[in-house]
Amino acid sequence: MTPVLELRDLQTSFEMPEGTVHALRELSLSVSRGEILGLVGESGSGKSLTGFSINRLISPPGRVTKGEVRLHGRDILPLPDSEMRKLRGRKIAMIFQDPMMTLNPVLRIETQIRDVLLAHEKLSKSEVRARALAALDEVGIPAPEERLRVYPHQLSGGMRQRVAIAIALLHKPDLVIADEPTTALDVTIQGQILALVQRLCRDRGTALIWISHDLAVVAGLADRIAVMYAGRIVEEGPIDDILDAPAHPYTRGLIDSVPVPGQRGGRLRQIPGRMPALTDLPTGCAFAPRCARATENCAEVPQLMPFGEDRKVRCVHPLAAGEAA
Amino acid sequence: MSDPVLSVRGLGRRFGSEGDFVARGLRKLGLAPPASVVQAVEDVSFDLYPGEVLGVVGESGCGKSTLGRMVAGLLEPTSGTVTRPDAEGRALPMQMIFQDPFSSLNPRKRVKALIGEAPRVHRLTSPSEVEAYVADMMDRCGIDPSYATRFPHAFSGGQRQRVGIARALAVKPEILVCDEAVSALDVSIQAQIVNLFMDLRDELGLTYLFISHDLGIIEHISDRVLVMYLGRAVETGPVDRIFDAPAHPYTRALIDGVPRLDRRRAIYSPIKGDIPSPVDPPPGCAFHPRCPLATEICRVERPVLRDMGDGRQAACHHAESQI
Repeated sequence: MTPVLELRDLQTSFEMPEGTVHALRELSLSVSRGEILGLVGESGSGKSLTGFSINRLISPPGRVTKGEVRLHGRDILPLPDSEMRKLRGRKIAMIFQDPMMTLNPVLRIETQIRDVLLAHEKLSKSEVRARALAALDEVGIPAPEERLRVYPHQLSGGMRQRVAIAIALLHKPDLVIADEPTTALDVTIQGQILALVQRLCRDRGTALIWISHDLAVVAGLADRIAVMYAGRIVEEGPIDDILDAPAHPYTRGLIDSVPVPGQRGGRLRQIPGRMPALTDLPTGCAFAPRCARATENCAEVPQLMPFGEDRKVRCVHPLAAGEAA
Repeated sequence: MSDPVLSVRGLGRRFGSEGDFVARGLRKLGLAPPASVVQAVEDVSFDLYPGEVLGVVGESGCGKSTLGRMVAGLLEPTSGTVTRPDAEGRALPMQMIFQDPFSSLNPRKRVKALIGEAPRVHRLTSPSEVEAYVADMMDRCGIDPSYATRFPHAFSGGQRQRVGIARALAVKPEILVCDEAVSALDVSIQAQIVNLFMDLRDELGLTYLFISHDLGIIEHISDRVLVMYLGRAVETGPVDRIFDAPAHPYTRALIDGVPRLDRRRAIYSPIKGDIPSPVDPPPGCAFHPRCPLATEICRVERPVLRDMGDGRQAACHHAESQI
């Protein structure tokens, strides 16, 4: 079966005064129908940029300089803009971190839902209203008739994010890219949104890319996980394998940085240093300066190599199962 | 137990006002809408003992930041008191670490001025030694002292937070109020800063009021925990009691709702509903519209914080049935 989305050797670059900066490099991954892929990394790792690159939303001085974005096996990068516009919102939808930024503050919820519906479908007034009500109802918004008339600022953060999700799912897209959609929400509200997204994607078989800095959120949601560092995927595979026995020292470090429930006090095992700026990447493995296992073999950028079954890792000194970094 | 370094009694803070006499008169005649007064914090009491970390946890709008600002002396309480029984000898006994290391440092001042100004003004160091003093503070907080002449923009988020911590430590406080001090940082940097806080506690005997919405961090760093909901303390006690056997249904919902690394493909069964507006809190127990245990009494009578007998207090009519 062809995956819903397949990225092949994607490269996104920015033309800066100080030279070309490659923000994404050698990015290859795929998501199948009904699968949830967690894309994890720290700020500046390129995880959000991956979402924008897939949707062709990179604006100058940035552009996708290499590779393919295949939707159902067809490369969408060479498509003219008019064709691309037909895919956005209909086949590929996005959900962002801050719904206050993605919803128009001066339009009623109903208007915003109508605009998205009419962008891809011919519908009568009553059909639009019925679809809008159904969409709000589906994401668990109480009293949807009243909510259609309100403006975004009249809703709470959790409700706004529900509206954003409802809008993203209006055309039953094949692929949803969710970029930190619960980061701005409170714990109890985050739980509600996670439950909602989980249910909708599982029921409809939507492929989902969940971009997050929070490993724990991804652990509870994803089937597969890809870890990014300084613009490259450093490790990828089934969630259980990777979280139980990470092979890349960076993944190990990330997991160890999260406080373990039940283990109070004591020191967290921290990763020394910080992620290098993309303008100032070390030659070779970008993680080597922070890595306890680095040797002279790390002076060359390692390839993403198969590791065990169904896994890949970009490291010349991968960790054995259970080994500390 | 030794004496507390800080005692908070019945602390409350109201925002908004009744307006002048014209507004009050109009309201009396029914010609103006009722005044919107928000009781951001109400009747919070606790003691802070030397060298301990008291974690304050709650969701947005629960009043935890307002509480922190009142304790740090940045905001006048409208009721209650903050007392320091042993306030002698320290110039500035309390310092605050803020969430956003980008807006809490003056962008036009060099790091050495940011850190060095307060100790110089308060005569904690002489003008001739201020440079060495700043270098020592930077070193202690893990910043290379050779960066003392740089401006804040030259630092990453984690480094800036270290500058903020060095600035707070420079006046030799005994209490640090940390308001979401690690929330804006990346995971690997978060661990570094949490470790720094713990090292400083061991070295300097600091006492912390650590405010966060992140239960993982709170569980890791705290000795005791205060859980807040809509301006009130709903549960307080030793960290292991709170996390192992929460007595308040809200505390339980918070702990159960937290994603964890070992919960894979979890089925989330979140508590329903939104956090009510603090402008118009529900009558009785503020949590009752979302509470799975709510009964008639919860709708009518507000539960008070009761002793549960294991060093913990909970404000719930049904607390016993939870443990």
